[in-house]
Amino acid sequence: MMIQAVHVPESAEAVAVHSARGGQIMGGGTVVMPLVTGGAAPGGELISLRRAGLSGIEVRDGQARIGAAAPLSSVEEHPGLGFLRPAMRSIASPTIRNLATVGGNLFVEQPYGDLAVCLLALGAVCEIAGPGGRREAPVADVLASGVDHGEFVTAVVTALPEPGTWYYHKAMRRRLNSASIVTVASVTRTEDGVVTSTVIALGGVAPRPVRAVSAERLLLGRPLSPEVLTEAGEAARSDAAPFDDAYASAWYRARVLPVHLRRAFTG
Amino acid sequence: MSSQIVSLVVNGEPREFIAKPGTTLLAVLRDSLGLTAAKRGCAQGSCGTCTVLVDDRPVTACLIAVETVSGASVRTLEGVAAGGDLDEVQSAFVDNFATQCGFCTAGMIMVAEALLDRDPDPSQEDVAEAISGNVCRCTGYQPIMIAILDAARRRRGESPKPVPASEETVSREEKVSR
Repeated sequence: MMIQAVHVPESAEAVAVHSARGGQIMGGGTVVMPLVTGGAAPGGELISLRRAGLSGIEVRDGQARIGAAAPLSSVEEHPGLGFLRPAMRSIASPTIRNLATVGGNLFVEQPYGDLAVCLLALGAVCEIAGPGGRREAPVADVLASGVDHGEFVTAVVTALPEPGTWYYHKAMRRRLNSASIVTVASVTRTEDGVVTSTVIALGGVAPRPVRAVSAERLLLGRPLSPEVLTEAGEAARSDAAPFDDAYASAWYRARVLPVHLRRAFTG
Repeated sequence: MSSQIVSLVVNGEPREFIAKPGTTLLAVLRDSLGLTAAKRGCAQGSCGTCTVLVDDRPVTACLIAVETVSGASVRTLEGVAAGGDLDEVQSAFVDNFATQCGFCTAGMIMVAEALLDRDPDPSQEDVAEAISGNVCRCTGYQPIMIAILDAARRRRGESPKPVPASEETVSREEKVSR
């Protein structure tokens, strides 16, 4: 479809007006613009979030609020979000991270969307605006079923993980700038050597980021030993629905899932 | 909506042009402003040949709808050679044989400019990460990384001294003369 207009509204309210009329929301353009250039634009009107005042990042009192239009590079560079830096640096290249946005990462197809995997593990909440006003929804719900017509994510809010509870690992074909084969993100607490609570999110192994609930169940009350972690990783296969793509086969993704789940914790 | 007038500051000069909705920054630079250093490669952000600096950050110009950056400062390779003299990065690319067919060169140099503006003393790892969005299919990444590290030394006022890295790189001249 030919593009009839690119709106660059200067407030969330103005975004909502265009969005209610059916415009396509665009963050950094890293997904939308190749479609536009290729003549396959997802609609006649694009709404850029670049100037809508949704790029701020606030970190205080153990909580982070990240504007949906914040580029990935600003998350990577934020002194209060150091725990996310390895994850951000595993996504695409610095050049792309200067454009691609936090909100956009929630809507990209797997095997992209490693930040979304992190936000799922963190139990983050999306702030959403739309014709019906504002609402909040867990990232898990937005990943599972998107947002309603005319709605758009304005920010994600997450508690910062306590020191020593954050785990992230991404298996790629290359060390830099490659999509996920398996991504593992987790907030896991241990006490006296055993797991007291755990949330594990997986990327690269299903059509969207998923919780490894079978692995979580197996880890509770047990130590993070290589044997237990491998067992949990094998259990996680039942939470995954891997796919073939140019990076890896579904068979390979399922085969190496336990290895990478273990490595997320043991390094 | 019809075409609109968009203004940018390109290489320090205010420029105005008419753009159809959804025109990329790359198309504007090449087709409206005649600045053809940034190359049209994959047109989907994967190859990095169209890399320019927007407000001092390296970005792929093929992914930017130009309306979204109206008023921004854009720096292209054409703006690097002040007064026609090659800068440190450019001369280091020449001296270290870091350009062969030249298609990736403009993007590589712009990424290097941004890197060295932020970090005057990058490690080899830093350089590898910085150019990780830029594909080179003939020169090879090693001479390019050597050139960027050499450019950093030149900018710091140290003597331009190519790093004696891999045999292959060092002996290229010798091979030619043999």
